[in-house]
Amino acid sequence: MIVTNTETVPGYHVAEIKGLVQGNTVRSKHAGRDIAASFKNLVGGELKGYTELLTESRRQAFERMMGQAQQLGANAILNVRFTTSAVTAGAAELYAYGTAVVVQPAS
Amino acid sequence: MALLFQLGAVLLLLGLGFFVGGYVESRHFKRLDAREAEAEGFLVTQLKSIPGGAGSAAASTRLPPQIFMAEAVIASDYLKTFLSGVRKFFGGEMRSYQTLLERARREALMRIVEQARDAGYDAAYNLRYETADIGGATSKQRRVVTVAVLATATAYCREPVA
Repeated sequence: MIVTNTETVPGYHVAEIKGLVQGNTVRSKHAGRDIAASFKNLVGGELKGYTELLTESRRQAFERMMGQAQQLGANAILNVRFTTSAVTAGAAELYAYGTAVVVQPAS
Repeated sequence: MALLFQLGAVLLLLGLGFFVGGYVESRHFKRLDAREAEAEGFLVTQLKSIPGGAGSAAASTRLPPQIFMAEAVIASDYLKTFLSGVRKFFGGEMRSYQTLLERARREALMRIVEQARDAGYDAAYNLRYETADIGGATSKQRRVVTVAVLATATAYCREPVA
């Protein structure tokens, strides 16, 4: 499946538009990670646990979106956007949405 | 006595922020500089269409344009958080937090570039940044001062694929 965050795919043309597909998730890490993060807050640096949290959330939301597109019989998702929202400290809400389409190589 | 002890603890944490935090930050900047130098030649734009048009139709069918995503979460240190508190009282530019955002954005971008380069691409367009609030900056009982950045871009081939 071709997924882009642009409105067109260079080298392909859109044959059919299937519609909006989306996926979202709210995830958190175990309390140990939150405690480790508050300690790391004293010395600074990357919070690997929270980076991982975002990566996992993004993947899950992305997979749900891809699943919807597959069900619709699309072979590409265009103009994918991500949105985050603040639910509570230590949690991440990720929402991925895009337009499912059928693309064909431009001859 | 108790007051003196508390003052000592605060000074110790400020020192920790100054030395360890400063060291962590300068090391991160050095690493970013090195990685950016290594990724030279990989073209990144935030344009909505490929600058100068796609490399060639053959290239895009062999290795179709594909989205790449990366995230980075950078924590503040005790000194930065303390200084920002002082700055908030007087108002003005919070320079200590500015570097945090810079580090998070550059780190996220480099992760995209490295992933895309490993997959065989040599350019990316339509770069977008998104920030998340994991530390709970908008919640009442805030605990951690962090900057979380999510970056997305679509990678493509400028040069024809061999």
